[in-house]
Amino acid sequence: MKKRGERVFCALLVVSLCVSGMFAGGTKEAPVKQQEIPKVDASKYEVTKPIEITWWHALENQYSDLVDEIVNDFNNSQDKIKVKAEYIGNYATVNETLVAAQVAGTGLPALVVANTPYVAQYGASGLCEDLNPYIQATGFDINDFGEGMIKASAYEGKQVSLPFLISTQIMYYNKDMAKAKGIEIPTKFKDMNEFLSKVTEFNADGSTKVWGTIVPGWDQWYFETFFLNNGVNIINPDGISTDFGGKASIETTKEIGDWIKKGYAYFAVGKDGSSIMRQTFIDQKAFSVIHTSSLYNTYVNLCKNFEVGMAWLPATDTKKQEIGGCVLLIPAKNDQQTKNAAWQFLSYLCSKEVNMKWAEGTGYMPTRKSVLETQEGKDFLAKKPAFKAIFDNLDNIYPRIQNKNWNQLAKIWMNYLSEFYNNGKDIDTGIPQMTEEINEVLED
Amino acid sequence: MTKKGIKPRTLDHLQDFGCTIPALILILMFTYFPILKLIQISFTNWNLLNDHYDYVGLKNWKWLFTGSGRKYLVNSLKVTFLYSAGELTITLFGGLVLALIFNTMHKGFSALRAIVFMPKYVAMSSAAVIFLWILNTDNGVLNYFITRLGGRRVDWLGQSSTAMISILMLTGWRAIGYGMIVYLAAIRSIPKDYYEAADLDGASYWTKLRGITLPMLSPTTLFLFVTTFISSMKVFQSVDVMTGGGPNRSTEVFVYQIYSYAMEDFRMDRASVMALAFFILLLVITASTMKLSNGRVNYDT
Repeated sequence: MKKRGERVFCALLVVSLCVSGMFAGGTKEAPVKQQEIPKVDASKYEVTKPIEITWWHALENQYSDLVDEIVNDFNNSQDKIKVKAEYIGNYATVNETLVAAQVAGTGLPALVVANTPYVAQYGASGLCEDLNPYIQATGFDINDFGEGMIKASAYEGKQVSLPFLISTQIMYYNKDMAKAKGIEIPTKFKDMNEFLSKVTEFNADGSTKVWGTIVPGWDQWYFETFFLNNGVNIINPDGISTDFGGKASIETTKEIGDWIKKGYAYFAVGKDGSSIMRQTFIDQKAFSVIHTSSLYNTYVNLCKNFEVGMAWLPATDTKKQEIGGCVLLIPAKNDQQTKNAAWQFLSYLCSKEVNMKWAEGTGYMPTRKSVLETQEGKDFLAKKPAFKAIFDNLDNIYPRIQNKNWNQLAKIWMNYLSEFYNNGKDIDTGIPQMTEEINEVLED
Repeated sequence: MTKKGIKPRTLDHLQDFGCTIPALILILMFTYFPILKLIQISFTNWNLLNDHYDYVGLKNWKWLFTGSGRKYLVNSLKVTFLYSAGELTITLFGGLVLALIFNTMHKGFSALRAIVFMPKYVAMSSAAVIFLWILNTDNGVLNYFITRLGGRRVDWLGQSSTAMISILMLTGWRAIGYGMIVYLAAIRSIPKDYYEAADLDGASYWTKLRGITLPMLSPTTLFLFVTTFISSMKVFQSVDVMTGGGPNRSTEVFVYQIYSYAMEDFRMDRASVMALAFFILLLVITASTMKLSNGRVNYDT
């Protein structure tokens, strides 16, 4: 076991040393172009007088002790900045509240979290402060994040945010059930059908007794990885059209539909879709579920009767998955003193030590490459061995697709998927309609 | 009339008008200015996150009526009218039935009346959260009773066929008491003479209901119809909390769609054309209802 752990650690070390490959971008593009920054006057970014600032976050009640501990540590570590942490709600609520404050021009927080898909829209609108001068003025080591994460939190070369609580899509599975059935999680998408047919159990009346898997029908993010790995350009390189009408997209849509039609997979929708999915898995009525890796702690804590495993999602020749979770940003409309204080707190929240506290206290991943080289990284993997599935694939985690019309595209796509899988809409008829609508949105 | 200057009557009128000026200023500021602003935004390409915008002529209007927006406009109209029909039925028919029951057996029923009316005082968002729990597929009370009676669990909020019914359950729970109280007050104001005369003629309960009660309640019915219709067309909170417009846009009512364009897509331009179309629609329907009801409503007391 120890040797195995060491091997894992060595693998991590190798991965961490492959800096150029780690978190590489979604396409074979040139590396991130960091904006040309003129020399900055560091004194401009100093906090000169006592100030109280507000941080808006989306960490629910279960993390309030951890939030309090981290914020109090910061407040006690210096005497100029006092941070007040405010839980606003989920990412959608944080977005609405932030946008309302931005439009009003008042009531903006000094620092705020944002779900990764918002980076492009916020960046394009100028809502976020460009962090490059702050990074340069304070010598913040941004390269320790890895290229993919930097790219995911930047917009057109401007570092408009920093990676904070990062996750990816993952398949949680019942390890005990897998052992009893002698089943391995497939690595290829084409093998999913066969795999699901083996793990799904049916009642005498033909209804499903134990689902092979549950797919989250409330968020298209979970489907992106299947489509990307099957060669679909969700947004073509021209930025104004989609490849959804292509053969690969139609086949992928039909394949997932086939799992659902056969009763292998459950398409969970609605506001309580997530809780239904979780409960079904906990009750051992589902062999596996596809969900965010950030819920690892939750699943482990709730599944008392069996061991929870994590597996990389079955893919193709590529094994792409995408960054989820949130970034931290400073609203640009704030005054300079507030922004300087916010930067101090932001750099503290994203520091290596504090990042490890987040990673251990929640289900989010460590974001710093250097962590992997330390004893802390080794300890982390010892405590959460299922994370090996993620650590082994760090170079396959890509940034989100960045487009200012992304939200509209995502909503259209998700609604069509829901119509195909829940309402039985014909895929051959629906896909061209969906493509036309998405193209119109992208062209606008 | 004074020899020179203003007539005393005109002066009175001016003084009266002067008293209304503060109210008029507030109405202009908070009602008519936003409407004018909305019209202006509908001709721009304003993204909510940006501080600037350009004028784009009729582009947004074309998108709404001839572009991809039409499909969703039609869907939201369908969904909203369906919801309205449900709420009107519950408030008018359900309210009337309860009012007739509680009016007939009024001794000791005041507590029951209060119980039926009480949900109206519960905030919609709080009530919606409670209903989320009641309707939960795995742990909800409703499914518990259904399974106890031998039925199968229903995914109330996850299926297009049941999501709207679920929202209407909440609406009914809150609105039926209001309809009942309004009807009850109206029923009690109908002069007893009519019923006594009908009794002398040997009229049955149904004849009296058809010939006296319902005609005499027509102003109340019109009032309830118009107010309930307008409020039902503006339904938002219950949809936002319970379904978010889904699944498959099956509960995407008009106001939710406006909100979604503005706050989720940041398309303030598209949200404003939707809002204006909604404003015109409500205006036309309300005016038509008032016009059509002229001569059909009995205002005798």
